[in-house]
Amino acid sequence: MAANDGVPEALQVLLSDELLSPSELFKERSRSHKIPVKGQKEFLPDGSDQQRARLQKSLDEHWTLVAEERVERLGNLVSAEWIPKEKLVKLLSPAGKFWQTMGFSDRGKQCLLPEEALYLMECGSVQVFYKDLPLSIQEGYECLLSPETMTLHQYQVFGHLKRLGYVVNRFDPRDMQSKQLKRKRSQSPGSRLCEKQSATTMEQTTVEGECKGEVQIREPDLGHVAPEQGTTQQTSQDKSMECVANSDGASARNWWTDMSGQAQAAAAQAAAPRWDFSCIVFPDLGSHRANSATLAAPDPSLLPGALEVGECKVAHWLRKLNLKKERLSRRDWERQRERDRYKRDINDDREVRRCRNWMEYLDLMEKRRSQQHKERPAHLWEQKVTPLTHPGQCISHRELLEQISIIPSCDLLEGASRLPWSDKWRICFNVYQPDTVAEFKKSHPGKPYTRLCVCSFDGPVPDLCVIKQLSILSGDVPVTFAVVDHGDISFYCFKEFKLPTDIY
Amino acid sequence: MDWTTTQLVGKSLPNGQDVKCRDRESAITKTDQGNAAKDRTIQISICGSTPLLWRSVDIKQSRDEVGVIGTLIGSLARQPRQNNRLGRPLEILKEEARLLLETGEATDVRHPDKSKKVSESGESHLNAVQLYQARLDRSYEEQCSLALEEKKAVLHRVMDEKQNSNEGPERAVRERLCSLEKSFSFPRSAMAVQLCTARAGFSHCPEELAFLAADWPEPRDKHSEARFRVYKDLRRKGFYLTAAGKFGGDYLVYPGDPLRFHAHFIALCMPMDESSPLSDILTIARLGSNVKKTVLLCSPRDPSDSQVEGDVVYSSLQWSGMV
Repeated sequence: MAANDGVPEALQVLLSDELLSPSELFKERSRSHKIPVKGQKEFLPDGSDQQRARLQKSLDEHWTLVAEERVERLGNLVSAEWIPKEKLVKLLSPAGKFWQTMGFSDRGKQCLLPEEALYLMECGSVQVFYKDLPLSIQEGYECLLSPETMTLHQYQVFGHLKRLGYVVNRFDPRDMQSKQLKRKRSQSPGSRLCEKQSATTMEQTTVEGECKGEVQIREPDLGHVAPEQGTTQQTSQDKSMECVANSDGASARNWWTDMSGQAQAAAAQAAAPRWDFSCIVFPDLGSHRANSATLAAPDPSLLPGALEVGECKVAHWLRKLNLKKERLSRRDWERQRERDRYKRDINDDREVRRCRNWMEYLDLMEKRRSQQHKERPAHLWEQKVTPLTHPGQCISHRELLEQISIIPSCDLLEGASRLPWSDKWRICFNVYQPDTVAEFKKSHPGKPYTRLCVCSFDGPVPDLCVIKQLSILSGDVPVTFAVVDHGDISFYCFKEFKLPTDIY
Repeated sequence: MDWTTTQLVGKSLPNGQDVKCRDRESAITKTDQGNAAKDRTIQISICGSTPLLWRSVDIKQSRDEVGVIGTLIGSLARQPRQNNRLGRPLEILKEEARLLLETGEATDVRHPDKSKKVSESGESHLNAVQLYQARLDRSYEEQCSLALEEKKAVLHRVMDEKQNSNEGPERAVRERLCSLEKSFSFPRSAMAVQLCTARAGFSHCPEELAFLAADWPEPRDKHSEARFRVYKDLRRKGFYLTAAGKFGGDYLVYPGDPLRFHAHFIALCMPMDESSPLSDILTIARLGSNVKKTVLLCSPRDPSDSQVEGDVVYSSLQWSGMV
C-alpha cells in the first residue's frame, strides 16, 4: 500500500482483522435486520448428536450476531468531533432526528454530551472523529466514559433506558435549589425569630417581659428549644437581640442591652436565677396569724432618688379583706371533707400505726391499692414500666393505636432537610416516559417520570437517611435506584405507605 | 478441559477468522511474527474496574478454549434499539480475567487511565490519517464500480425479459445500457462505511499496548481469593459459570453451555472460617427453592488443611418436605 511504503518499521500500523473489504461493505447494504429467536433451553446435557447439533446452531447464530459490524450509508451518518478539553462532542454536520431529545446548543454549535454521543455511535447514527480519525466503539468507551464524565455503570443504565425509548438526561441539582431554599427558611427557628421580631413593636414588649425573670424564652414556636438551656438559648437570644436592636424604642433598647450583658455571662452554663428568693419576703397578710402585721420599710437603696418610706401599717388594709370564716354549703362541706380525708397525715391512720415494720406497711398499702383498683394488677401497674392503656380506655381502633404507639408514624420527608449531606449517593438522571417523546421539548422538559440513582450490589444498601436525602433533593418526583450487576440492571424504588388505623 | 497445558505457540489463527471473510490486505501490514502472536492472545480492556473483551475472536476463543461466558453489554449492531439481545463488548468477571491472565491466554491488559501515554509523533499520526483516507477512497472507487455492475445486471435482466416476451421497445433499454457508463452517478454519500466496534488500529503504537498482567490493580482480599478458588474448581469440573447477583449468589452454575441449558446451582462462596447467621442460610435456601435451583455453599479448604491445594468443600441446600 502506497501510504505505508516510506514509513519506518517501528511505526507500522497494525490494522484490525475486523475491517471489512469494500465488496463486503457493499453487500451489507442488503443485510437482514431480523434477529433469530432464541429457542427453548434444555435441562440436562445427554451427549446426544441432536443436542450437539442444536447447540452448534445456537452458537453459530450467536457468533454471527456478535461478529457483525455496523455498516451505514455515509450520507446517513452525522459527523462529530470529540473535544477532550471540554468533555463534549461537537457536531460537524447537522443533527438528525435525535436532536429532539438529545444534545444542546453552545455558542451556535450543536453539541452532545459524551454519553449521548456514545449511545448514538452504538446506534450507528453518528460518527465521532478525534484528530481526523474515526473513533471505534471501543475507543469511544475508553475516551468518552471516565469518572469525570460518566462511569460505565451509569452508561449501562443510560443505554438500557434509551434503547427502550425513554428520554434520559443528566440531573442537575441546581434545578432544584430554589425550591430547597424556601423549605429551609420556613423550618429554621433562628431566622423565623428574626422575622417575627422586626414585625411590630408590640412584640418587643413581650420579649422584654420575658427577660425580666429568668433567662428563658417562652415563645411557643421555640417551645422545643427552651428546655435545652445554655447555648441554644443564647444564640436565639443573640439573634433576637440583634433584631430588636434594629427596631424602634429607645427605652426598651436600654433595658434590653443592660440585661444582655448580664444574661450572656449567666447563660454560659444553665441559666442560674438572679434573684435570691430566700431574701425576698412576700408578706403574709391573709392568714389568721397576721392580724397586726406591719410591713417593714424598704431598703432606701432600692428607691429612686432620696425617697424615704416608713413602716407600712396594714391594719386598715386587712379590714378590707374578707376574713370571715367560710360557710360552706352541704355539698361543698362534704367535698371538702373528702379532700381533707385524703389530706390527713398518714401517721394519723390507725391501721398504719399498727404496722410494726416497713414490710407490714407495704403490705397494707398493697392491700388498699388492690381493693381500690381491682382491674389494675400490681405487677403491671406498680412497676417502673406500666402498660400504655387499660381495657375500656379507648373506644375506636384509631384511639387505641394512638394510645399505644411508641414510635409515632411520620412522613418520609420529615426532618430530611436537617440531615447532614453525604457525597456518596447522587441522583444521576431524569427519566421521561417514551410516549412523551413526540411532544418533548428540551427547553421545557416538564416533570420527569422518575429520577435515577445508579449503584451496584457491591456497594451498601441505601438506608433511611439516604432515601430521605434523595427524596427531598428530588422534590415531588419519585426516586428509583438502578442497581447494576454484571450487565443485569434491576430497578428498585421505595414507596411511602401509611398503615391503616381504622376502618374509616 | 485442562487449560493449564494449552499451548499458544505455533497455533494456527483462531477459528474466528472463518466467521467472516477477512480483509486480506491487513495481513500485509503484519510483517512481524511477534505481532501475529500478539494477535492470537486475548486482549482485555479495563473500563473503570470492569474487564471487557472487544474483539469477536477473543470472545469466541475465551468461550471455546477456557469456558469464559461473560455478558454482552453493548448495543447489537444488527438492531441497536432493543434490549433482548445485546452486542459487544463482553463484560467478564474479575475471576475470569484473572484466569485468562494466569493461564497465559491473555497477556494484554489495556487500562486507559494507567497505560503509558505514548504520544504519537506528528508524522506518524499524519501517516495514519493518510492511510485511513486512502482506504476510504479505494473503498469508494470499488463500491462505485460494484454499483455500476449491479445496475448493468439489472438492466440486462430487464432486457432479457423483454426479449423473451417479444415486446417492442427493447431498443430503449439498450440505449439506456449504453449511456449508463456516462450517466451513472454514485455519490460519495451513497458509499457504505464501517463503524468499527473494536479498535481499528489506524493510530496504533505498539508500545501503547498494555503492561504487565501483574500491574492489574485489583485488591486481593480474602473474599475475592475465595471466589477465585471456587471459580477455578468449578470450571475444572467442567461447569460453565456466570454472575448470579440477581439470584442472591456469586455464580450460576450450568451443566453445559448457557445458550442451551438452564442453570442447576446457585453458588455462594463462604470462607471456611466465617460464620453466618442462620437467617442468611434460610434466605438463600428460600430463594433457591423459589427459582427451582439448588443452592451450593462453597468454601475453599485451608491450604494447611489438606494435601491438595485449591480443594473446595461443597454443601448443597435443597428444600424438601417431610413425608
